[in-house]
Amino acid sequence: MGLRWYHFALWAAFAAGMFLLPEIVPRGTLRTIIFANFLAIFAISWDTLSGRTGYVSFGHPFLIGIGAYTTAILTKRFDVPVEISIPLAVLMTMVGGLIVLLPALRIKGSYFALVTLAMMELMYQLVQVIRPDLTGGTRGMSGLPTLTRGAVNGFYMSTALMLSIAFTTWLLMKTRLGTALSAIGMNEEAVAGSGLSVTRLKLVAFTASAFTAGLGGAVYVHYLGSIAPRALFDINFVFTIIVAALIGGAGTTIGPILGAFFLTFLLEYLRPWLPGAERYLIYGGVALVLYMYQPKGLIYLMGQAVRRVRKGAA
Amino acid sequence: MSAHLSIRNLIKRFGGLTATNDFSLEITPGSSVGLIGPNGAGKTTIFSQIMGEVRQDSGQIALDGLELTPLATARRIRAGVSRTYQVPRPFAEMSVAENIRVGLMPDNIWSMIAQGPDPDRELELALSVGFTKDQLEKLPSELSMGDLRKLEMARTMATGPRMMLLDEVFAGLTVGEIAMISGLVQQMRADGMTFLIVSHDLKALEPLIDRAVAINHGTLIADGPYDEVMNDAAVRASYLGT
Repeated sequence: MGLRWYHFALWAAFAAGMFLLPEIVPRGTLRTIIFANFLAIFAISWDTLSGRTGYVSFGHPFLIGIGAYTTAILTKRFDVPVEISIPLAVLMTMVGGLIVLLPALRIKGSYFALVTLAMMELMYQLVQVIRPDLTGGTRGMSGLPTLTRGAVNGFYMSTALMLSIAFTTWLLMKTRLGTALSAIGMNEEAVAGSGLSVTRLKLVAFTASAFTAGLGGAVYVHYLGSIAPRALFDINFVFTIIVAALIGGAGTTIGPILGAFFLTFLLEYLRPWLPGAERYLIYGGVALVLYMYQPKGLIYLMGQAVRRVRKGAA
Repeated sequence: MSAHLSIRNLIKRFGGLTATNDFSLEITPGSSVGLIGPNGAGKTTIFSQIMGEVRQDSGQIALDGLELTPLATARRIRAGVSRTYQVPRPFAEMSVAENIRVGLMPDNIWSMIAQGPDPDRELELALSVGFTKDQLEKLPSELSMGDLRKLEMARTMATGPRMMLLDEVFAGLTVGEIAMISGLVQQMRADGMTFLIVSHDLKALEPLIDRAVAINHGTLIADGPYDEVMNDAAVRASYLGT
C-alpha cells in the first residue's frame, strides 16, 4: 500500500503520454477519447463508493444529474458565470445527494441498489414536471455556455480533469482511509469490530463519490453545451458506468479508466457495422465474457502479463 | 490497562426465547473470568450485548463506570473493550499486516489520511501472536484455522483494549497453538489485562482464569472458583449432563 517513487513516475508517464496524443491521433479519435475521459470520471466516482465499500449504486446518474442540472440552470436561467456555477453544482451534488441518499446508506445489498435506482428514476420524472421553465422539461436545455471549442481543446480539458480526479482519488485510496473503505466491502461487521465508525466511513466514501460525480456532470454539460434528461437518466448509461468499472477492475483507480476507454472504443469501432442499439448486445457479450474470465478485470490481466514478462526476463 | 466490567440485570429475548435472563456479573480490574455453559446457553449473546452488536431489552453494562448501553460498537471499543469471534472474520483480500492495520487505525478520518501506517507496530503485534515475519504478506485464504485465530487476536489487541472478550479462542487449534495463545493470554494478564473467556476446551481454560461463571438458558447458575463451579450440582446437571 506504500507510495513508491515509481508510482509517481508511472503517473507522470501516463499524463505525458495522454497529452502527446493530439500530435499522433486524428481529431475523430480525440473526440472519442473525450467521451472516454468523462466515462472514466463517472466510473471512478462509482468505484469510490461501490467498488470500495460494496454498496452498489444503480442510480449514479442521480448524482451526476444534480451537478449537471444545477450548473445548467444557474448559467442558462440566472446568467451565473461558469466559474461560479460549477463549484456550486459540486456543492449541491454533495449536499443534495447526502440529504436524499444518506438514509439509504443504512440499508444493504440489493435494497441499497434498488433505492439508488429509484432515485434516478424519480429525478428523471421530477425534472420533466417540476418547474419545466427552469429545467427545460422533457427537451432539456441547449445553448449552454461551453468551456472550450474544438476537439483538441476539449481533449486537453477532459484529460486534465480526468487525470486530476484519478490522481487525487488514487492518493486518497493509498492512505489508511482507502484501506478502511476497502475493508467495509470485505466485512463491514469486522470494521465495526475494529473500533471504526462504519457509518462515518460510508459517509466519506459517498461524499467523495458525489464530489467526483458532481464535478464530472457539471463539466460534461459545459462541454456538450446541452443537457437532455432522457440521455442522462438512462439505464444504459448506468450500466455503461458500472461495466466500465467492473471490467476495468473495481476497487482500483486505474481499472475504471481502462474499462472506460475499452468500452468507449469498443462501442465506437462497432458503429460502422452496427449503427443501432445492437452494438449494446455485442458490448454486453464482450463485457460478460471478460468478467467471467477474470472478475478482477483488465487491470489484473495487465498485472499478470507484466509479471510474466518480468519472469521471462529474469 | 485494566478495566472493571459491571453487568446488571441483563435481559434479552428473541421472540419467545429468553437468551439472557436477568444476568449480572462483576469483573474486577485485571482479573480473568471463564464464561461456561452448554451449547446455546447464551454465552456469545452476552458478548454481543457487551459489544453493542445485539441490544439488550433491559439492564446495564458499564466499563469503569461508563454506561456502554447508548454507545455504538466502535465507541465501546474505543472505551477499552474488544472481542474475538467464534468464527474468525478476516478481511479476505488483505494481507496479515493489512488486517492488523485496520485494527490499529484511529477512528478519525483526518488522522487516517494524514498519518501513514505503522509497520513496526504491525510486525510487533503479528510476532506477539506467533506469526513469523514472512507470513505478514500472506492472505487469509493461505492461513490455517489456527493462524486465522491468531490474526483475530492480533487485530483485537491492535485496538488497544483494557478488557478482552475471547470467544472460543482455542477451537480448531493444535496443541502447540493452544499453548502459544495460552502463553500470550497469561502474559497479558501479567500486564493487567482483564479477560472474559468463553471456551469449550475446559482444560485449556482452567489455568487462564481466576473464577468461572456458568450459565444455562441465559441464567447464571454458578459463580466462583473453577473447581467449585465444576462440582456444582446445577452445573453438572446442565452443562456436563451428569
